[in-house]
Amino acid sequence: MSRPVVIAIVDDDLAVREALCEFLQVEGMAALGFERAAAFLDRASEFDCVISDVRMPEMDGLELQRRLRACGSAMPLIFVTSLADETACAHALRNGAIAWFAKPVADAALLGALRVALGNTGGGA
Amino acid sequence: MEPLSHQEAADGADPELPPALLPRIGDAAHAGMDEESSAWSVFDISGARGLIARIAAGDMPDGWTRALLDAVRVVDIDDNALRALGPIGGRRRMVGAPVTVYWPAESWPVLAELIFAELADIPGAARTRKIVSSVFNDATVNISTDPAHPDLVFVSVGGGVTDKRSLWSLRASEERYRTLIHHLPWALVLVDSTAMLPIFDELRTAGVTDVGAYLDANPGLPFESRAIVRVTDANRNAVELFGAESADRLIGPVDYLFAASPDTAKRVITAHFDGRRNLTEIMKLRTFDGRLRDVQLSITYPTPPERLDVTLLMFEDVTERLQTEVQLRQLQEEYARAARIATLGELASSIAHEVNQPLAAIAMNAETSLRWLARDEPNLAKVEQLTKRIADSARHASEIVQRIRGMAGRHVPKRTALDLNRVVEEALMFVCHDIEARGIQLGVKLDIGLPRVLGDRVQLQQVVVNLLVNSLQALAGRPHSQIEVTTSGDGFGGVRLSVRDNGPGIAAEDLHRVFEGFFTTKQDGMGIGLAVCQSILAAHGGGISAANQAQGGAFFQVTLPPVTD
Repeated sequence: MSRPVVIAIVDDDLAVREALCEFLQVEGMAALGFERAAAFLDRASEFDCVISDVRMPEMDGLELQRRLRACGSAMPLIFVTSLADETACAHALRNGAIAWFAKPVADAALLGALRVALGNTGGGA
Repeated sequence: MEPLSHQEAADGADPELPPALLPRIGDAAHAGMDEESSAWSVFDISGARGLIARIAAGDMPDGWTRALLDAVRVVDIDDNALRALGPIGGRRRMVGAPVTVYWPAESWPVLAELIFAELADIPGAARTRKIVSSVFNDATVNISTDPAHPDLVFVSVGGGVTDKRSLWSLRASEERYRTLIHHLPWALVLVDSTAMLPIFDELRTAGVTDVGAYLDANPGLPFESRAIVRVTDANRNAVELFGAESADRLIGPVDYLFAASPDTAKRVITAHFDGRRNLTEIMKLRTFDGRLRDVQLSITYPTPPERLDVTLLMFEDVTERLQTEVQLRQLQEEYARAARIATLGELASSIAHEVNQPLAAIAMNAETSLRWLARDEPNLAKVEQLTKRIADSARHASEIVQRIRGMAGRHVPKRTALDLNRVVEEALMFVCHDIEARGIQLGVKLDIGLPRVLGDRVQLQQVVVNLLVNSLQALAGRPHSQIEVTTSGDGFGGVRLSVRDNGPGIAAEDLHRVFEGFFTTKQDGMGIGLAVCQSILAAHGGGISAANQAQGGAFFQVTLPPVTD
């Protein structure tokens, strides 16, 4: 019995975090938000995919990606950010990120990336 | 008849002046007073005959002494009396005026009683009385008449100075004083506010302690007092300041001094009543030729307060100074605004991020709402919740835009009571993401319960932003970098803001120059950030200092005075 898909949202902005969670819920996915990358990393094993901001206090998204990989996790990672930094974007994609979206992200594009991330299951349990 | 040498004997040809009567005084001087040291006056009492007859018949109305002297007119005076009573008004102005205009008010009763005794021919009544007067000091006043001139009384005041040598030295000292007064670089006006004494006494008797409140309730008093309190002397600069053709214009009721600033008149009276020694304020002054000037008024009230005849009013024309200050403030604001715009440019990506966050949330929430609505059974509760969030985010975005506009826009600095902590929080919005993006650890410790400070919100935000930008630039590329922002009381009722970092600090040789305009150690820096901070704080009555911490890193400290009422 497969457990339902749970997606982690890591963003220091409450409004953005909540909006992403709500969007995933209407699409039939369970989502849980984290304000800090470190808090997510502590519970990383509980999730099927992570959507993360890049610029965040204490630990940024790229460092989150590095640590996730360092502990052997292959969890799909999607970046959603206001940071217009091609170097950082290239770096993230080279290290296996599924996608890098500029905020505000188009819903269809995000869903497409999630489908890829979750192995074309189209979401849902 | 040979006229006595008057001060204004040069224009003695004036046909309006009556022939000098004072040669007669030789005959009338019978009280044993030294003529040289006496002051002589001749008064016309014809207008007072009716009142004198009434009093003689036993009907003595209240305030009769003043009424009598109001009806008695000056006919002639000698040089001594001219010096004592109306030095600037001049003989020409005095002749024909009621005695009350020039005669010191504290001696009105004595003079009135003497005139009455002489004219009503009261047997046994003294014709010579002692007076203690602010004008004559301890003196004797004597009255006499001459059957050849039934409408005239001859009044001599003497005894204050009995020996000729001291008279001459007194005159010399008077001359010195006069020269000093006239050549002082300020406009100086002497005021005799003796007439206020009975009014103040009356108010105190009536239990009035807060005369300010009393004046608000009885707006007539300032006008009344402005008419009875008199200017007795004025110097050349005063004549020039008031645009008068001669000093004569300035002698008389003080009305004209406060014509353009009635509230100042009120404060002058209040300070006087409260027994203050001095008062200084900026007021508007209307000149005789119709110009409006900004002047700084400084009043020195008499010491002891009983000597009400010598209230000293000094006026300094500050019109140009105020205009220059306004221009300077405008320039400073332009400069500060240019600096703000430059800073906004540097922080553009941080600010863009700040605006983009709520917009991203709005877009996503709107999309989610549409999906809930598109269902066969729309989840209206969800839509309502999301729509509220959309509204919140939109408001948040709008606030951010407002703040940016505040920073970028032209604005006239406005002082309001501000919570410095709030200013710091608002300023952090501009810089926060830059700080985070550089991996700098930011510590904010705000002391709650700080007194409010009087300041311009945008300018104080600018100070905080500049200090933070300064720190984060100093920290560029350094690992484990930290910025700490704290607010606290300064121990003197004011408020202190500190910004510390663990960067390289300030080179010892640069410490004294960091606030100079266009001083910078950065390659692409303009060197205006800290200079603007200093000019803003100076305008706020505060200060800023730069230092290095013992453990390394720069330490900037800002102090601001609290709001005072």
